[in-house]
Amino acid sequence: MAIEGADLVKAAAYLGAGISMGLGAIGPGVGEGMAAAKACEAIGRNPQEAGLLTRTMLVGQAVSESTGIYSLVIALLLLFVV
Amino acid sequence: MPYDLQTWIKVAAFAGGGLAMGFGAIGAAIGEGYTAAQANSALARNPGSVGTIFKSMLVGQAIAESASIFALVIAMILLFSNFTATSYVTVAGLLGAGLSIGFGAIGSGVGSGFPAGAACIGMGRQPAMSGRLTTNMLIGSAVCQTPSIFALVTSFILIFSDFSKVPVNPAWAALLGAGFASGLGAIGSGIGGGVVAEASCEGIARHPASVRQVTNIMLLGQAITQTPAILGLLVSFILIFKKFTATDAIAPGMALLSAGLCMGIGAIGPGLGEGIASSGGVRWIARNPAFTGTLTRTMLVGMAVAESTAIYSMVIALVLVFVV
Amino acid sequence: MHELGKIHQLIISLGSYDLTFNLETIIMTWIVCGLLITFGFLASRKKGILPGPFQVIGELFVAQFFTLTEDALDKKLARTYGPLICALFMFLVLSNWLGMLPHLEEPTKDLNTPLSLGLMGFVIAHYTGMRSKGVKAYIKEYFEPIFFMMPLNLIGELAKVVSISFRLFGNIMGGSIIILVVSYLTYSIILPPFLNAFFGLFVGAIQAFVFTMLTLVYISVQVK
Repeated sequence: MAIEGADLVKAAAYLGAGISMGLGAIGPGVGEGMAAAKACEAIGRNPQEAGLLTRTMLVGQAVSESTGIYSLVIALLLLFVV
Repeated sequence: MPYDLQTWIKVAAFAGGGLAMGFGAIGAAIGEGYTAAQANSALARNPGSVGTIFKSMLVGQAIAESASIFALVIAMILLFSNFTATSYVTVAGLLGAGLSIGFGAIGSGVGSGFPAGAACIGMGRQPAMSGRLTTNMLIGSAVCQTPSIFALVTSFILIFSDFSKVPVNPAWAALLGAGFASGLGAIGSGIGGGVVAEASCEGIARHPASVRQVTNIMLLGQAITQTPAILGLLVSFILIFKKFTATDAIAPGMALLSAGLCMGIGAIGPGLGEGIASSGGVRWIARNPAFTGTLTRTMLVGMAVAESTAIYSMVIALVLVFVV
Repeated sequence: MHELGKIHQLIISLGSYDLTFNLETIIMTWIVCGLLITFGFLASRKKGILPGPFQVIGELFVAQFFTLTEDALDKKLARTYGPLICALFMFLVLSNWLGMLPHLEEPTKDLNTPLSLGLMGFVIAHYTGMRSKGVKAYIKEYFEPIFFMMPLNLIGELAKVVSISFRLFGNIMGGSIIILVVSYLTYSIILPPFLNAFFGLFVGAIQAFVFTMLTLVYISVQVK
């Protein structure tokens, strides 16, 4: 079976897309979980501020998710543009 | 020197068996060691209740071991069965089966150690709560085993299905990918479920009156923590049961392998993160049960957001399978 | 296993465009709507101090979700968004449970349903943001912290729609595929009822609640 250059490039791009999104999902997942755990702790200590704390948690999670979104963008670029 | 098909299948079966038991031994060993360490520190605090602590350590370790026993079963099947296959796809299927249960047993083994250790510490603190703690620990560690059971199901399907009619070229990658997806996907959820159960055992020992809420919210949190593992199982089912057209190119196969890897690796972080989020919720519900509703809501929203990267991984995996 | 991925479609050609209708999804959505309208009619027909069974269930839902909305937004906005949130939850939970009945399918199993609901939430949230902050402040938020983060902020907002809709779709479709495959492998002995109870009742209710809460939270993030 002869492997052509274009085929090999496509194969590498697909593999790269999968690995990019897969590895890129680890950090944000753990980080967002920690943010949520701390928010629960803060609400447990001070339940009156639940609304404010939940909103702050969401903003923090959105920021920590941005690296996951970069991975998603790179994966989509590898799949459809390269 | 060329080898015939039967030799390759033997090679795959033995290699798969080795991978299954080798990786599968990691988790249980860590989990059981953690349990024993916690039991020792509980005994140092409260030598009087040596009976209950020793008993619950042994029970907890026995549950933590079950994921490893699944791996042992698959390894035995791979070593001692006579596979008479007619296609090279079986080689990939047997390797995938070994990888699936090998990786899949890591998370549940580590995870089940956490509640057992926390229960031992709790019994040292609150010997009067031993019964409730044991029940809670048993439920919690049993739910921790679910991801490894998913991996076991995938392994069984990969071993016992008939792949003689599927085209060799993309299918080998699909089966390996299926093994990766459900095996790696089970790691995060297994550990995460254990973290939740640990927090609930600790909480019950701290505040015995909150036992009802804590057990309920623990089950809720663990069930949602399983979602990444369920997505991994879903992708591996799609990879196993979808019909592929035969091809000579290498790219379609790589896309399928990559789909499995993407979903499998991508499920680790969210599974662990959801477990951490839920453990925060459960821990503080135990301390402050009057605000169970508020805490549960924030916990659910936080877990749902922590899950989103697993969902991006699933989207990329589905694109790799169905679009490109 | 040939049922996997088979869809009943109605395709109408309009010139060079093809209009594709997923008949099953449409009919199942209508069934859910019909059930909800009937329920609403029965619950509000005889309003009284002594409520009937339907009114009790209806009041339970409404009170619960109004409190949730008031916690997340303020009292005035809650009067605007409360009915939306309550209706969204009731629609989703009924949709997710519908598949447990024989011959019926979950409308949420089709990606189009969650995606359109997610887009609806997205549009409502951003409209609310523009109204409460003013268009200028709303646009300025995209250029924070520095101006060249704009494309990434934009993708981040769009990714919310992807994650909210694929979460519901993945859970419901994943559940039904897993039930199908496991029932097929075990010849439908013992396991299917338990799988249905977990994936249908439990996961269905949880995912409906999560979808509703996230829509509400996205709106409330835009307000403040």
